Amino acid sequence: MTGLEISIIGFAIMLVAIFLRMPIAVAMGLTGFIGSWVILGHPNAILSQMKSLTYDTFSSYSLSIVPLFLLMGQFATKSGMSARLFEAAADWLGHRKGGMAMATVGACAGFGAVCGSSLATASTMGQVALPEMRKRGYSDELATGVLAAGGTLGILIPPSVILVIYAILTEQNIVKMFIAALIPGILAALGYMLAVAVYVRIKPDSATTAPRTPMKQRFRTLLKIWPVVVIFGLVMGGIAGDWNWVQPGVQALFTPTEGAAVGAVATGLYGIFTGGLNKETFLDCILSTASATAMIFFIIFGAQLFNTFLAFTQTPQAIAQWVTGQGFAPMLVLLLMLSFYLVFGCVMDSLSMILLTIPVFFPIIEVLDFGLTVEETGIWFGILALIVVEVGLITPPVGMNLFIIHSLAKDIPIQKTYRGVTPFLISDLIRVAVLLGFPTISLWMVRAMF
Amino acid sequence: MGIAVSTQQSVGERLHSVSRYLVYFGGFVLTGIAVMTVLSIVGRAFVKFGLGPIPGDFELVEAGCAIAVFSFLPWCQLNRGHVSVDVVTNFFPIRIQALLILIGDIAISAMAFVIAWRMWMGMGERTIWFSQPVRDALGFGYKPFAPETTFILGMPIWYSYALSFIGAVLFAVVAFYTVWRSVNGLLDGRLPK
Repeated sequence: MTGLEISIIGFAIMLVAIFLRMPIAVAMGLTGFIGSWVILGHPNAILSQMKSLTYDTFSSYSLSIVPLFLLMGQFATKSGMSARLFEAAADWLGHRKGGMAMATVGACAGFGAVCGSSLATASTMGQVALPEMRKRGYSDELATGVLAAGGTLGILIPPSVILVIYAILTEQNIVKMFIAALIPGILAALGYMLAVAVYVRIKPDSATTAPRTPMKQRFRTLLKIWPVVVIFGLVMGGIAGDWNWVQPGVQALFTPTEGAAVGAVATGLYGIFTGGLNKETFLDCILSTASATAMIFFIIFGAQLFNTFLAFTQTPQAIAQWVTGQGFAPMLVLLLMLSFYLVFGCVMDSLSMILLTIPVFFPIIEVLDFGLTVEETGIWFGILALIVVEVGLITPPVGMNLFIIHSLAKDIPIQKTYRGVTPFLISDLIRVAVLLGFPTISLWMVRAMF
Repeated sequence: MGIAVSTQQSVGERLHSVSRYLVYFGGFVLTGIAVMTVLSIVGRAFVKFGLGPIPGDFELVEAGCAIAVFSFLPWCQLNRGHVSVDVVTNFFPIRIQALLILIGDIAISAMAFVIAWRMWMGMGERTIWFSQPVRDALGFGYKPFAPETTFILGMPIWYSYALSFIGAVLFAVVAFYTVWRSVNGLLDGRLPK
């Protein structure tokens, strides 16, 4: 058997195992382990690699950004920022038709600026916004749909855990990825607000209007969101700002990992200051961070083993060569990949999907000509992939955000949430199409800064 | 029905509290490296005033991150935190589902065991202890001329290996326990919550 055949069989077995409920990390890891064994004829090489592979993976400096950002997000959930964000957004937007739903989107976007996880954003904002919207007579569909969709802003707006992992996998610059994600993230928030506006026009009885808040009051509540602005500015400004004009190029204040540490400490201090973070809630934060961290790193480790196996078989190169040899239109290949993410996103979680596919997809993307430089193509593809895998969080049957919102309001049937996210899904697809057609939207800030 | 159900439950409670304390330890390390990094940045910013960055700060971040992640693994496994896809299997009969969960736990145990076993050897290779026969018996390999150390602090790497190893061993122990738990679940014909 050739390496390619072995890898295809391995891939098939792994997929079957995953769909038979084998934990994804182990399915990847064992396939990689056994596959390498089959290809080399003995397990010694992979066994001796495993003496240091686990420790080396878990002690990677660039990956240490992940637990730090998760910790920062957890601190943010306890610090009371979510309530202040919602209050400010509601004062500014509440008087419009469906204004509370728009305010939810705005507050989610703000929270996403200090939290790199969709689930944490959805559940934290849900606790604040859902009771408010229900009290004001918003329909169940709109109230739960907007929250599930708004939650994805947690990861679309930097900092973002998935972007970090994509950047490490494909050897992109994390800072450039974050900067590139900024405008698509803001577009996402605006698109969701637009979706709300259209939705309430079609179904006028699904939302109400609140009385207009006086300007003085609006600015007072707006000022209260200063911690979010300060922390986001500190983290992003520190890792992406130019702090030494004398020297050429961007002289950042600190590395992304250091930025994550600064963010975690600043958010933690603010939580202690507001009283939201005490001994008990701190331990809660640690436990939640621990579960998420362990899950993510274990999958990354499994993917490492799997990629070792793929490298032995040289499959990614073979596939990349084949695709370019066929002379397909680059856009067509890209569209197929994004559709693949959309379909598989319905049943798989975003991180596993990225880890499974990037080693195969990225070498292909790299050699296709989109009229961009190789680095720009990598960044652009990362942003597109990020958006479409995040769509998976709000598509039934398996959309983690839908489940999170459902667990907050058990009395609302989940089918209503399924219906409620539809306008936001349409908004997502339109945004993907726009970003596909105009790569400049994602890239101009990177081009302007570097 | 099940194998020593009451023993399994009390062992489970024990492991639960041990894993939780290990998480607290890992969380302490993680918070520690965050604070240390901030102090190091502050020191670097005030170089003019005689302060300076903490030497080898990124080495400490790397070591601390590994220790934290290993400390988090047992807790995650005990609470079924490792993601799996259950859209397809939800349509299967309960017993089949319980069987598939059991197989998943066995697979995790196998992997956790290999990880801990190989880490032990990896740790041994980074020390200079014992004579060669003892090293062979322990699986420590040939004695290196000097223990492997980090670049700036010169800290022996086996320190952080050893602290990480605690998590790796507990991960394997917890994984074996979850196999037991899943066997009982299968015999009982019910699914975990």
